[in-house]
Amino acid sequence: MAPGLAGYIVRRLLWAIPVLFAISVIVFYMLRLAPGDPVDSLLGQRYREEEAALIRKKYGYDQPIHIQYVKYMRHLLQGDLGVSTRHQSFTVSEIILPKIWVSARLGFIALVISFFLGIAAGIYAALARGTFLDPLTISFWLAIDAVPIFVAIPFLQWLFAVKLDLIGLSWQGFTSPNIILPILILSLPGTAGIARFVRASVLGVMKEDYVRTARAKGLPERIVVFRHIARNALLPLITIIGLSLPGVAGGSLIIEQMFGIPGIGAESFEAVLAPDFDVILALVLFGSVLFIVANILIDILYAIIDPRIRLGAQRG
Amino acid sequence: MSAAVAADPVSLERAAASPRRRFFRQLARKKLAMLAIIYLAIFYACGIFAPLIAPHDPYEQNLTPGATRQGPSSEHWLGTDALGRDLASRVIYAARTTVVFTVVVLVSGSLVLGLGLGLLAGYRGGWVDTLIMRVGEVLAGLPTLLLMLAITAAFRTRINDVAFWLQDNTFLGGDARTLVKFSIIVFATVPFAWIGTSRIVRSQALAIREETYVLAAEAMGASTWRIITRHILPGVLPLFVVGVSAGMAGTAGAEVTLSFLGLGIDPPTASFGSLIAAGAGPQTFERYPHLLLAPAIPVTLFFFAWNLLGDALVDLLEPRTQALR
Repeated sequence: MAPGLAGYIVRRLLWAIPVLFAISVIVFYMLRLAPGDPVDSLLGQRYREEEAALIRKKYGYDQPIHIQYVKYMRHLLQGDLGVSTRHQSFTVSEIILPKIWVSARLGFIALVISFFLGIAAGIYAALARGTFLDPLTISFWLAIDAVPIFVAIPFLQWLFAVKLDLIGLSWQGFTSPNIILPILILSLPGTAGIARFVRASVLGVMKEDYVRTARAKGLPERIVVFRHIARNALLPLITIIGLSLPGVAGGSLIIEQMFGIPGIGAESFEAVLAPDFDVILALVLFGSVLFIVANILIDILYAIIDPRIRLGAQRG
Repeated sequence: MSAAVAADPVSLERAAASPRRRFFRQLARKKLAMLAIIYLAIFYACGIFAPLIAPHDPYEQNLTPGATRQGPSSEHWLGTDALGRDLASRVIYAARTTVVFTVVVLVSGSLVLGLGLGLLAGYRGGWVDTLIMRVGEVLAGLPTLLLMLAITAAFRTRINDVAFWLQDNTFLGGDARTLVKFSIIVFATVPFAWIGTSRIVRSQALAIREETYVLAAEAMGASTWRIITRHILPGVLPLFVVGVSAGMAGTAGAEVTLSFLGLGIDPPTASFGSLIAAGAGPQTFERYPHLLLAPAIPVTLFFFAWNLLGDALVDLLEPRTQALR
């Protein structure tokens, strides 16, 4: 453990409180002040004002916003995320927790695949520097990254399900082969960023004296690459892993929507369209907490792995 | 430098070649980056001169049997859509939407907010710096797409009221609705577009602030405005350009994604998002592949070109960024 680590974690966690407070206020007021109203989706386009008033009273939307906010926060601090206006018999946590679990598992599988591909491509490109294979590798992944997923999805669905008739398109859980396509589309676009990062990192390490020493003492190239170069070059990847964590659990809205996956991304789309105030708030806060936690984790991991980094010094 | 070298006019010129000229020469040597620049130039020209280039009226429908969803022909280069509108013209007008959107976000988000706040934070430091960076931190922590959706969806329900009001009470007429939708997407994108840029600019400005020439200018009593524009800005600009070009695909992608989901620019105004949405679906693709391919290929190349350009610029400026860190 690096010295001062515990104090540092406490300070970061304390700082997270005002950040989350600010986010909750902004989003709460934005939702309440915007012209959209859950009553519209509950009652349709035409409704009698008395009906609307009853519903607003039931959910407390008729009260001043700051009172609604205080009430919401009081419940939140007791672990109550509120109620959904779309699924009236469920609480918000009952709705979102199973969906988070689905998205998180999918995202984790995709993350592992994209890191595997990205690291391989990055090391390969760096070692091939000076030949046409270096720009070719990176450009290939950049090209993949440039295809919007909502273009790739119908094309691949057509190719694999209609033309080749290999798999079905409906979501049938994690054991069905139908999962291959969503996993592929989740993992491939992220590979370019990782490959580029690994390439730059490897090129940096290759200039180091200890690599020259390793080569000079006649170690086989395989050992130089894997033990001396790769090990040191992959360390900064922690940042990228950390930064992609919120995306992993946050799900992909478009992919889940187009494949009918019951995850958090599809849920957030429906909640936003309704609008389902408490669900949107819960999802935004969930996303923000993930982001904050991921950032703290990155810093802590850095401190443990590289003792030269003094925590807190880089942030004024 | 020896007298012999200085006397030689050719090498004298070479020695005097500015870093900027050297930069462009190196860039010109990167073939992929040059291809990307050429493609982007064509794309932006298409967008700007869309009314001159488009072979047909992108809004003119033709619902007679056989006229809808035609494949490519000499009359309609890319075929027609479900309402019999010329797809090539619609794609060119979609490029116009993308061009206008990227320029608006570039100016308001990257240039004014990103560069401005970054310079201010980096040069002034103190509580100004803390405030700007903390606000950025809060915004960066928000799930962006979700919030963009929330903002656009929140205003969507009452959008017709505003549009009709503008139509009746201002000179905008029929363009009012497009303008309102456009402003909403810009309003949903810009709060998140400046953070990355201003971080880059700030760290750069922090380093330059300590340079002797800045200290000298301060000692001579130059105003803050003058120091920022004359001394800090030129040093910050290269990295700013890199940051912007690397982020451009993402910016343009935000509009395309929102339009695809039906929350951005909606028909009849052409946008790559809504054009793709009309052709998306494995069954549709099986029968009418041109509906998806016609908008998908140009916009994918557009993202790819920005990615390639950003990558090449990062590569070129790498030694300098490392030296400054």
